[in-house]
Amino acid sequence: MACLPGSMQAADIRAKADVACQPTAGTLTYVCTIRLTDSRTNEPLTGIDLSVGADMPSMPMMHNVRPVKATPGREKGTYQAHIELEMAGEWALQLNLSGKLRDRLVQVLRFEDGEIAREISPAAPRPARQKH
Amino acid sequence: MDDYLIGVLSNVGVISFIALSAYLLLLIGEISFGQQAFFAIGAYAAGIATALWGWPLAAGLAWGAAVAGAAAVLVGVPTLRLHGLYFAIATLAFAEMVRLLCELFRYQITIDGEPTGPNGADGFRNIRYIFENDIGPLQFLVLIYALLAAALLGFMLMERSRLGVAFRMIGEDVALAGLQGIAVARFKVLAAGLAGALAGIGGGLYAHLTTYVEPRIFDVMLGVHSLAYGLIGGLGTALGPLLGVLIDIGLLESIRSLAGYRMIIFGGVVAFLLIVRPRGLLDETVVHYVRRTWYQIGRGRGN
Amino acid sequence: MIDFVQNTIDGVMIGASYGLLALGFTLIFGVMRRLNLSYGPSIMIGAYLGTLIYVQFSAGPVAVVVMTVLGAVLAGIYVERLCFAPMAASAGIASMVSSFAIWMQLEQAAILILPRHTYPFPPLATGAPLELGPFLLRIDHLMMLACALLLSAGVQYVIYRSRFGLALRAIIGNPVAAHLVGIDVKTSVMLAFAGASAVGGIAGYLVLAIDQQVTPMFGMWATMKGLIAMMIGGLGSIPGAILGGLVLGVVEAHSLWHFGPQVRDLVAYLLLFACLVLRPSGILGDAPAAETSIGRRSA
Repeated sequence: MACLPGSMQAADIRAKADVACQPTAGTLTYVCTIRLTDSRTNEPLTGIDLSVGADMPSMPMMHNVRPVKATPGREKGTYQAHIELEMAGEWALQLNLSGKLRDRLVQVLRFEDGEIAREISPAAPRPARQKH
Repeated sequence: MDDYLIGVLSNVGVISFIALSAYLLLLIGEISFGQQAFFAIGAYAAGIATALWGWPLAAGLAWGAAVAGAAAVLVGVPTLRLHGLYFAIATLAFAEMVRLLCELFRYQITIDGEPTGPNGADGFRNIRYIFENDIGPLQFLVLIYALLAAALLGFMLMERSRLGVAFRMIGEDVALAGLQGIAVARFKVLAAGLAGALAGIGGGLYAHLTTYVEPRIFDVMLGVHSLAYGLIGGLGTALGPLLGVLIDIGLLESIRSLAGYRMIIFGGVVAFLLIVRPRGLLDETVVHYVRRTWYQIGRGRGN
Repeated sequence: MIDFVQNTIDGVMIGASYGLLALGFTLIFGVMRRLNLSYGPSIMIGAYLGTLIYVQFSAGPVAVVVMTVLGAVLAGIYVERLCFAPMAASAGIASMVSSFAIWMQLEQAAILILPRHTYPFPPLATGAPLELGPFLLRIDHLMMLACALLLSAGVQYVIYRSRFGLALRAIIGNPVAAHLVGIDVKTSVMLAFAGASAVGGIAGYLVLAIDQQVTPMFGMWATMKGLIAMMIGGLGSIPGAILGGLVLGVVEAHSLWHFGPQVRDLVAYLLLFACLVLRPSGILGDAPAAETSIGRRSA
């Protein structure tokens, strides 16, 4: 792979993301709004090629979503992506950054049909099968 | 190649390692539900080596394979005395223990002002080797397949050697193999160790490919899948499990448009396939036939 | 000391559900000598159908029980027809892998029936728990324990005292000879499978009614708990299945109390691992049963 121009300084920048997914009219389809910021300066990161994929952590090969390109949103440093899931439950969203900055950020969200999905921490207690 | 295709092919390659690992144990007649444990150990060990200790990737992968292989030998000694379902469930129990220990495992170092390393159930994120060293997806794909080719070469050499014969004899009939003077216990532990190391390499590659691992990835689903690949693709040759992985991931990708009915079709196809070919597509009979035909062609040309 | 006794009581009650799951599992394994990984997911199909009529038509408890058991039995027969009936006796591994493929199918079918992740399940008994001195006994727990004991006694009776049980034992001993003396092997095996699924369906109903919620994780959970309890208790033994379930339940309850849910699961698997390595035949099982079961060409 050819070194991208400016990759030397890009290595120093670490991206941080905030994700919220809003349900749309279809079943289990969402518009995810991603806000990318520089983790040090909290400056919004613009002009990044962002693609969004997802898989279920318990079966990453069986249930996954083909990565889709995100489009820049109205606000600076925000991006929007339409995703369609196969089932409700916890999904790990993969944010693939390329272009100005190459990185991959991962966030786990719990999706339920028709509800806003937000990031959760897998370490947090959850209504799991282990309750029995 | 577009990134999507590279991604799918990378997955096929990485999963092939754990499929080969389960296949190696099937050769000696043992069913393991637990190869995902060594995949996990390889992933964590290799990830820690590169992300926390700053090792180069090759050393990290080798370390992952070594730790996984050693763990497989240690577990193999008590469990390989068991057989059949007992062995299968013992490996399952071990693998689940490994997964749950991963959920409790915390080992973090602050790098670049951010805590990095395994963080319990949150998993191990920021295995950033490929970003820091500017390794592109295509380069990583080449690396995966180079290692896979090496593993396959190893299998081919093994099948032609006394070792391969011993493995297959043990798989066919343990008592008879013992009577032929084969040190059954030693060969079984050796096979388990090799299988563990193979899964460990796969795990190391997986960790660096996806850049994050979560304990939940290594649950029973992955183990049963890796076992199924050999059965679907065929038990006659090491290409069988690879074919199984290709069918699994390829078929699932190609029927994406069916969305919610994907698994129903996929499960049905596999069930039907196993009725028609209970030892997989490339079973011993097919492999034998192909080999014989090949030699006959060769002889024809020689005359 | 009070905590110790209360934990033990809770463990026994929860263990009863494990025992019931193991009972169905043992029945299938005893007759087929093969592992049915789709056991839990079949129960889940029943549970989802039960939940469907509860959520959509607010069906009463009796209808939900009937629907759950019926769904589990139908799904069980489907699995038997597709994964077990067409396979040769030597193809045990193929059956097992096939049952895993059908697991994927059943899980997706359940999601198609009810697409959300969590659904409410109607409770069994809502009354206040009984108080026995300082100890509390939940009524639904007691009902579960009673069901476990009654059902295991019933299954034991059918297998060892009825004509059908005699036929099944003949098939277990030697399928060819059983066929020669006029036993309809295929139908008997299918009936045994249906019976095992019905036991599983009842177990599933009780567990979910106590939990009052159902998720797509239930299928895997049921298969795993049934499998662990069956292996601890001893393969092929009916009292062993219940005993294995109770031991698992008690050990889990104590480790949950002291160390939390992650360590609880860890201890459960450690117990299973230790049991297998130290005493593979389980508490009450017979060792050769599984030795020859899914090995390669053990005709």
